Amino acid sequence: MSDFLLTQIINYGAPLFAAFLFLGALGVPVGASVLVIAAGAFSQQGILDWVSTAILGLIGAVIGDAISFGIGFYAKDWVDRRLGRSPAWRNARSSFDSHAGLAIYLTRFLITALALPTNLIAGGSGIKFRRFMAYDSLGESTWIILYGGLGYLFGSQWELVSNFISNFGGLILGVVVLGGGVWLGFRRRRNSESESMDEKIPET
Amino acid sequence: MDTLNPKQRNFVVGLIIIGLMIIGFFGLRTARAFRQFHGHRPPPFDGEHVETDVSLIRDWMTVPFISRMYRVPPSILFEALKISEQGNKGKSLKQLNEEYYPQDEGIALEKVKAAISANQPQQIQGNPDTPVVPLTPTLPGSP
Repeated sequence: MSDFLLTQIINYGAPLFAAFLFLGALGVPVGASVLVIAAGAFSQQGILDWVSTAILGLIGAVIGDAISFGIGFYAKDWVDRRLGRSPAWRNARSSFDSHAGLAIYLTRFLITALALPTNLIAGGSGIKFRRFMAYDSLGESTWIILYGGLGYLFGSQWELVSNFISNFGGLILGVVVLGGGVWLGFRRRRNSESESMDEKIPET
Repeated sequence: MDTLNPKQRNFVVGLIIIGLMIIGFFGLRTARAFRQFHGHRPPPFDGEHVETDVSLIRDWMTVPFISRMYRVPPSILFEALKISEQGNKGKSLKQLNEEYYPQDEGIALEKVKAAISANQPQQIQGNPDTPVVPLTPTLPGSP
Protein backbone atom coordinates (compact mmCIF):
# COMPACT_ATOMS: atom_id res chain seq x y z
CA MET A 1 0.00 0.00 0.00
CA SER A 2 2.84 2.36 0.90
CA ASP A 3 4.28 2.04 -2.62
CA PHE A 4 1.01 3.13 -4.20
CA LEU A 5 0.76 6.09 -1.80
CA LEU A 6 4.35 7.16 -2.53
CA THR A 7 3.60 7.22 -6.27
CA GLN A 8 0.53 9.37 -5.63
CA ILE A 9 2.51 11.79 -3.42
CA ILE A 10 5.13 12.38 -6.12
CA ASN A 11 2.29 12.95 -8.61
CA TYR A 12 -0.05 15.14 -6.53
CA GLY A 13 2.24 16.65 -3.88
CA ALA A 14 1.65 18.16 -0.45
CA PRO A 15 -2.21 18.24 -0.36
CA LEU A 16 -2.38 14.49 -0.87
CA PHE A 17 0.40 13.97 1.68
CA ALA A 18 -1.71 15.93 4.18
CA ALA A 19 -4.77 13.83 3.32
CA PHE A 20 -2.83 10.62 4.00
CA LEU A 21 -1.62 11.93 7.38
CA PHE A 22 -5.23 12.84 8.19
CA LEU A 23 -6.33 9.27 7.40
CA GLY A 24 -3.38 7.87 9.37
CA ALA A 25 -4.45 9.86 12.45
CA LEU A 26 -7.89 8.24 12.13
CA GLY A 27 -6.33 4.78 12.23
CA VAL A 28 -6.19 3.97 8.50
CA PRO A 29 -2.95 1.97 8.03
CA VAL A 30 -1.19 4.28 5.57
CA GLY A 31 2.30 3.97 7.12
CA ALA A 32 2.30 7.65 8.05
CA SER A 33 5.84 7.71 9.49
CA VAL A 34 7.23 6.22 6.28
CA LEU A 35 5.38 8.88 4.30
CA VAL A 36 6.80 11.68 6.47
CA ILE A 37 10.39 10.42 6.00
CA ALA A 38 9.77 10.00 2.25
CA ALA A 39 8.26 13.50 2.01
CA GLY A 40 11.42 14.88 3.63
CA ALA A 41 13.51 13.10 0.99
CA PHE A 42 11.24 14.32 -1.83
CA SER A 43 11.66 17.87 -0.54
CA GLN A 44 15.43 17.50 -0.69
CA GLN A 45 15.13 16.20 -4.25
CA GLY A 46 13.05 19.22 -5.23
CA ILE A 47 9.83 17.26 -5.82
CA LEU A 48 7.97 18.87 -2.89
CA ASP A 49 8.26 22.28 -1.27
CA TRP A 50 9.31 21.51 2.31
CA VAL A 51 7.54 24.46 3.96
CA SER A 52 4.08 23.85 2.47
CA THR A 53 4.49 20.07 2.82
CA ALA A 54 5.34 20.37 6.53
CA ILE A 55 2.53 22.84 7.25
CA LEU A 56 -0.17 20.94 5.31
CA GLY A 57 1.02 17.62 6.78
CA LEU A 58 0.84 19.05 10.29
CA ILE A 59 -2.68 20.39 9.67
CA GLY A 60 -3.84 17.02 8.28
CA ALA A 61 -2.43 15.06 11.22
CA VAL A 62 -3.79 17.47 13.86
CA ILE A 63 -7.31 17.52 12.33
CA GLY A 64 -7.30 13.70 12.26
CA ASP A 65 -6.25 13.61 15.91
CA ALA A 66 -8.94 16.13 16.85
CA ILE A 67 -11.59 13.96 15.20
CA SER A 68 -10.41 10.80 16.96
CA PHE A 69 -10.38 12.77 20.24
CA GLY A 70 -14.00 13.71 19.42
CA ILE A 71 -14.92 10.07 18.86
CA GLY A 72 -13.51 9.25 22.30
CA PHE A 73 -15.37 12.19 23.79
CA TYR A 74 -18.77 11.17 22.38
CA ALA A 75 -18.19 7.48 23.17
CA LYS A 76 -17.47 8.39 26.81
CA ASP A 77 -21.04 7.75 28.04
CA TRP A 78 -21.19 4.38 26.33
CA VAL A 79 -17.79 3.36 27.81
CA ASP A 80 -18.82 4.64 31.27
CA ARG A 81 -22.01 2.56 31.16
CA ARG A 82 -20.02 -0.56 30.36
CA LEU A 83 -16.85 -0.04 32.40
CA GLY A 84 -17.63 2.82 34.78
CA ARG A 85 -18.02 0.58 37.82
CA SER A 86 -14.76 -1.28 37.21
CA PRO A 87 -12.00 -0.16 39.64
CA ALA A 88 -9.40 -1.13 37.03
CA TRP A 89 -10.97 1.27 34.50
CA ARG A 90 -11.16 4.06 37.09
CA ASN A 91 -7.51 3.45 38.01
CA ALA A 92 -6.46 3.46 34.37
CA ARG A 93 -8.32 6.72 33.81
CA SER A 94 -6.80 8.46 36.81
CA SER A 95 -3.30 7.23 35.81
CA PHE A 96 -3.88 8.59 32.31
CA ASP A 97 -5.08 11.93 33.66
CA SER A 98 -1.91 12.40 35.69
CA HIS A 99 0.40 11.61 32.73
CA ALA A 100 -1.84 12.72 29.86
CA GLY A 101 0.43 15.41 28.45
CA LEU A 102 3.48 13.17 28.29
CA ALA A 103 1.43 10.28 26.85
CA ILE A 104 -0.05 12.46 24.12
CA TYR A 105 3.32 14.02 23.25
CA LEU A 106 5.32 10.77 23.15
CA THR A 107 2.72 8.77 21.20
CA ARG A 108 2.88 11.31 18.35
CA PHE A 109 6.43 10.38 17.32
CA LEU A 110 7.99 7.74 19.59
CA ILE A 111 5.27 5.12 20.13
CA THR A 112 3.09 5.95 17.14
CA ALA A 113 1.25 2.60 17.32
CA LEU A 114 -0.43 3.90 20.48
CA ALA A 115 -1.42 7.31 19.06
CA LEU A 116 -5.01 6.42 18.13
CA PRO A 117 -5.84 4.58 21.39
CA THR A 118 -4.36 7.56 23.27
CA ASN A 119 -6.62 9.98 21.34
CA LEU A 120 -9.69 7.88 22.10
CA ILE A 121 -8.80 7.54 25.80
CA ALA A 122 -7.97 11.25 26.01
CA GLY A 123 -11.35 12.13 24.50
CA GLY A 124 -13.14 9.96 27.05
CA SER A 125 -10.98 10.94 30.02
CA GLY A 126 -12.24 14.45 30.54
CA ILE A 127 -8.97 16.16 29.55
CA LYS A 128 -9.67 19.61 28.07
CA PHE A 129 -9.66 19.77 24.27
CA ARG A 130 -7.38 22.83 24.31
CA ARG A 131 -4.83 21.00 26.47
CA PHE A 132 -5.01 17.95 24.19
CA MET A 133 -4.45 20.11 21.11
CA ALA A 134 -1.45 21.85 22.69
CA TYR A 135 0.38 18.57 23.41
CA ASP A 136 -0.84 17.05 20.15
CA SER A 137 0.42 19.94 18.00
CA LEU A 138 3.74 19.89 19.82
CA GLY A 139 4.11 16.13 19.33
CA GLU A 140 3.05 16.17 15.68
CA SER A 141 5.47 19.06 14.99
CA THR A 142 8.29 17.04 16.59
CA TRP A 143 7.30 14.05 14.44
CA ILE A 144 7.30 16.02 11.19
CA ILE A 145 10.49 17.96 11.94
CA LEU A 146 12.41 14.90 13.25
CA TYR A 147 11.30 12.29 10.72
CA GLY A 148 10.97 14.69 7.80
CA GLY A 149 14.35 16.18 8.71
CA LEU A 150 16.00 12.76 8.63
CA GLY A 151 14.40 12.08 5.24
CA TYR A 152 15.66 15.46 4.01
CA LEU A 153 19.16 14.75 5.33
CA PHE A 154 19.44 11.30 3.78
CA GLY A 155 17.67 12.12 0.51
CA SER A 156 17.61 9.17 -1.85
CA GLN A 157 18.80 6.85 0.97
CA TRP A 158 15.68 7.57 3.05
CA GLU A 159 14.58 3.92 3.02
CA LEU A 160 17.48 3.05 5.36
CA VAL A 161 16.24 5.64 7.86
CA SER A 162 12.66 4.47 7.48
CA ASN A 163 13.60 0.83 8.04
CA PHE A 164 15.53 1.70 11.21
CA ILE A 165 12.85 4.00 12.63
CA SER A 166 9.98 1.56 11.94
CA ASN A 167 11.77 -1.23 13.79
CA PHE A 168 12.93 1.05 16.60
CA GLY A 169 9.31 2.15 17.10
CA GLY A 170 8.32 -1.51 17.43
CA LEU A 171 11.10 -2.04 19.97
CA ILE A 172 9.89 0.92 22.06
CA LEU A 173 6.33 -0.46 21.90
CA GLY A 174 7.64 -3.78 23.28
CA VAL A 175 9.42 -1.95 26.12
CA VAL A 176 6.18 -0.08 26.93
CA VAL A 177 4.11 -3.31 26.96
CA LEU A 178 6.70 -5.08 29.15
CA GLY A 179 7.00 -2.06 31.46
CA GLY A 180 3.21 -1.85 31.67
CA GLY A 181 2.99 -5.53 32.66
CA VAL A 182 5.69 -5.23 35.34
CA TRP A 183 4.22 -1.97 36.71
CA LEU A 184 0.71 -3.42 36.81
CA GLY A 185 1.99 -6.56 38.56
CA PHE A 186 3.77 -4.56 41.29
CA ARG A 187 0.86 -2.15 41.70
CA ARG A 188 -1.75 -4.89 42.02
CA ARG A 189 0.47 -6.78 44.45
CA ARG A 190 1.03 -3.66 46.59
CA ASN A 191 -2.71 -2.91 46.60
CA SER A 192 -3.53 -6.49 47.58
CA GLU A 193 -0.94 -6.43 50.36
CA SER A 194 -2.23 -3.13 51.79
CA GLU A 195 -5.81 -4.47 51.64
CA SER A 196 -4.81 -7.60 53.59
CA MET A 197 -2.92 -5.42 56.13
CA ASP A 198 -6.08 -3.31 56.62
CA GLU A 199 -8.05 -6.45 57.30
CA LYS A 200 -5.51 -7.57 59.94
CA ILE A 201 -5.43 -4.21 61.84
CA PRO A 202 -8.55 -3.97 64.00
CA GLU A 203 -10.37 -0.65 64.03
CA THR A 204 -9.95 1.33 67.24
CA MET B 1 2.48 -12.06 42.22
CA ASP B 2 1.03 -14.63 44.62
CA THR B 3 -1.40 -12.04 45.96
CA LEU B 4 -3.00 -11.51 42.54
CA ASN B 5 -6.13 -13.39 41.60
CA PRO B 6 -5.70 -15.84 38.66
CA LYS B 7 -7.34 -13.48 36.16
CA GLN B 8 -5.06 -10.58 37.11
CA ARG B 9 -2.01 -12.85 37.16
CA ASN B 10 -2.75 -14.18 33.67
CA PHE B 11 -3.21 -10.65 32.36
CA VAL B 12 0.09 -9.43 33.86
CA VAL B 13 2.02 -12.52 32.74
CA GLY B 14 0.45 -12.19 29.28
CA LEU B 15 1.57 -8.55 29.01
CA ILE B 16 5.11 -9.44 30.09
CA ILE B 17 5.35 -12.33 27.60
CA ILE B 18 3.93 -10.27 24.74
CA GLY B 19 6.28 -7.40 25.65
CA LEU B 20 9.30 -9.74 25.61
CA MET B 21 8.23 -11.23 22.27
CA ILE B 22 7.84 -7.78 20.69
CA ILE B 23 11.23 -6.71 22.11
CA GLY B 24 12.90 -9.86 20.75
CA PHE B 25 11.35 -9.52 17.30
CA PHE B 26 11.91 -5.80 16.83
CA GLY B 27 15.21 -5.82 18.72
CA LEU B 28 16.77 -8.13 16.13
CA ARG B 29 15.28 -6.17 13.25
CA THR B 30 16.43 -2.87 14.79
CA ALA B 31 19.97 -4.20 15.23
CA ARG B 32 20.04 -5.35 11.60
CA ALA B 33 18.59 -2.04 10.37
CA PHE B 34 21.10 -0.12 12.50
CA ARG B 35 24.03 -2.03 10.95
CA GLN B 36 22.79 -1.13 7.45
CA PHE B 37 22.06 2.46 8.45
CA HIS B 38 25.33 2.94 10.34
CA GLY B 39 27.50 2.22 7.30
CA HIS B 40 25.91 5.04 5.31
CA ARG B 41 26.54 8.72 5.55
CA PRO B 42 24.08 11.31 4.31
CA PRO B 43 24.91 12.56 0.81
CA PRO B 44 26.85 15.85 0.64
CA PHE B 45 24.61 18.80 1.37
CA ASP B 46 25.78 21.14 -1.38
CA GLY B 47 22.59 21.15 -3.42
CA GLU B 48 24.46 19.77 -6.43
CA HIS B 49 24.54 16.13 -5.42
CA VAL B 50 23.20 13.89 -8.16
CA GLU B 51 22.32 10.29 -7.37
CA THR B 52 24.31 7.70 -9.30
CA ASP B 53 23.40 4.48 -7.48
CA VAL B 54 20.79 2.79 -9.69
CA SER B 55 20.06 0.18 -7.02
CA LEU B 56 17.96 2.88 -5.29
CA ILE B 57 15.41 2.89 -8.14
CA ARG B 58 12.11 1.32 -7.03
CA ASP B 59 9.10 0.23 -9.04
CA TRP B 60 6.79 2.75 -7.30
CA MET B 61 8.78 5.60 -8.86
CA THR B 62 7.55 7.41 -11.95
CA VAL B 63 9.75 8.21 -14.95
CA PRO B 64 9.76 12.02 -14.35
CA PHE B 65 10.75 11.40 -10.71
CA ILE B 66 13.64 9.10 -11.69
CA SER B 67 14.64 11.54 -14.40
CA ARG B 68 14.91 14.34 -11.84
CA MET B 69 16.72 12.18 -9.28
CA TYR B 70 19.40 11.01 -11.75
CA ARG B 71 19.37 14.04 -14.05
CA VAL B 72 18.67 12.05 -17.18
CA PRO B 73 16.04 13.51 -19.56
CA PRO B 74 12.68 11.68 -19.34
CA SER B 75 12.58 11.30 -23.13
CA ILE B 76 15.62 8.97 -22.92
CA LEU B 77 13.90 6.81 -20.29
CA PHE B 78 10.62 6.62 -22.23
CA GLU B 79 12.63 5.76 -25.33
CA ALA B 80 14.39 2.95 -23.43
CA LEU B 81 10.98 1.64 -22.35
CA LYS B 82 9.73 1.99 -25.97
CA ILE B 83 6.60 3.80 -24.83
CA SER B 84 5.15 7.26 -25.38
CA GLU B 85 5.49 10.03 -22.78
CA GLN B 86 1.86 10.96 -23.39
CA GLY B 87 -0.37 9.59 -20.65
CA ASN B 88 2.44 7.69 -18.91
CA LYS B 89 4.13 10.42 -16.88
CA GLY B 90 2.12 9.75 -13.72
CA LYS B 91 2.39 5.96 -13.84
CA SER B 92 4.82 4.03 -11.69
CA LEU B 93 7.30 1.61 -13.24
CA LYS B 94 5.17 -1.20 -11.83
CA GLN B 95 2.07 0.12 -13.61
CA LEU B 96 4.03 0.59 -16.85
CA ASN B 97 5.36 -2.95 -16.54
CA GLU B 98 1.87 -4.39 -16.02
CA GLU B 99 0.48 -2.37 -18.93
CA TYR B 100 3.22 -2.73 -21.54
CA TYR B 101 5.22 -5.80 -20.50
CA PRO B 102 2.74 -8.07 -18.70
CA GLN B 103 4.76 -11.19 -19.55
CA ASP B 104 8.11 -9.87 -18.22
CA GLU B 105 7.95 -9.01 -14.55
CA GLY B 106 10.42 -6.28 -13.52
CA ILE B 107 11.64 -5.58 -17.05
CA ALA B 108 10.64 -1.89 -16.95
CA LEU B 109 12.77 -1.41 -13.83
CA GLU B 110 15.75 -3.13 -15.46
CA LYS B 111 15.41 -1.11 -18.67
CA VAL B 112 15.31 2.16 -16.73
CA LYS B 113 18.35 1.17 -14.64
CA ALA B 114 20.28 0.30 -17.81
CA ALA B 115 19.25 3.56 -19.49
CA ILE B 116 20.33 5.60 -16.44
CA SER B 117 23.70 3.86 -16.27
CA ALA B 118 24.29 4.46 -19.97
CA ASN B 119 23.12 8.07 -20.08
CA GLN B 120 24.19 9.84 -16.91
CA PRO B 121 26.55 12.73 -17.61
CA GLN B 122 30.15 11.47 -17.56
CA GLN B 123 31.36 13.81 -14.79
CA ILE B 124 28.63 12.47 -12.48
CA GLN B 125 29.48 8.82 -13.09
CA GLY B 126 33.23 9.22 -12.53
CA ASN B 127 35.14 9.34 -9.27
CA PRO B 128 34.21 12.60 -7.54
CA ASP B 129 37.86 13.10 -6.56
CA THR B 130 39.05 13.21 -10.16
CA PRO B 131 38.97 16.64 -11.78
CA VAL B 132 36.05 17.20 -14.11
CA VAL B 133 37.03 17.95 -17.67
CA PRO B 134 35.22 21.10 -18.82
CA LEU B 135 32.85 20.58 -21.73
CA THR B 136 34.00 23.77 -23.51
CA PRO B 137 37.71 23.99 -24.35
CA THR B 138 39.60 26.81 -22.62
CA LEU B 139 41.87 28.93 -24.71
CA PRO B 140 45.48 29.48 -23.59
CA GLY B 141 45.73 32.68 -21.58
CA SER B 142 42.05 32.75 -20.66
CA PRO B 143 41.21 32.72 -16.90
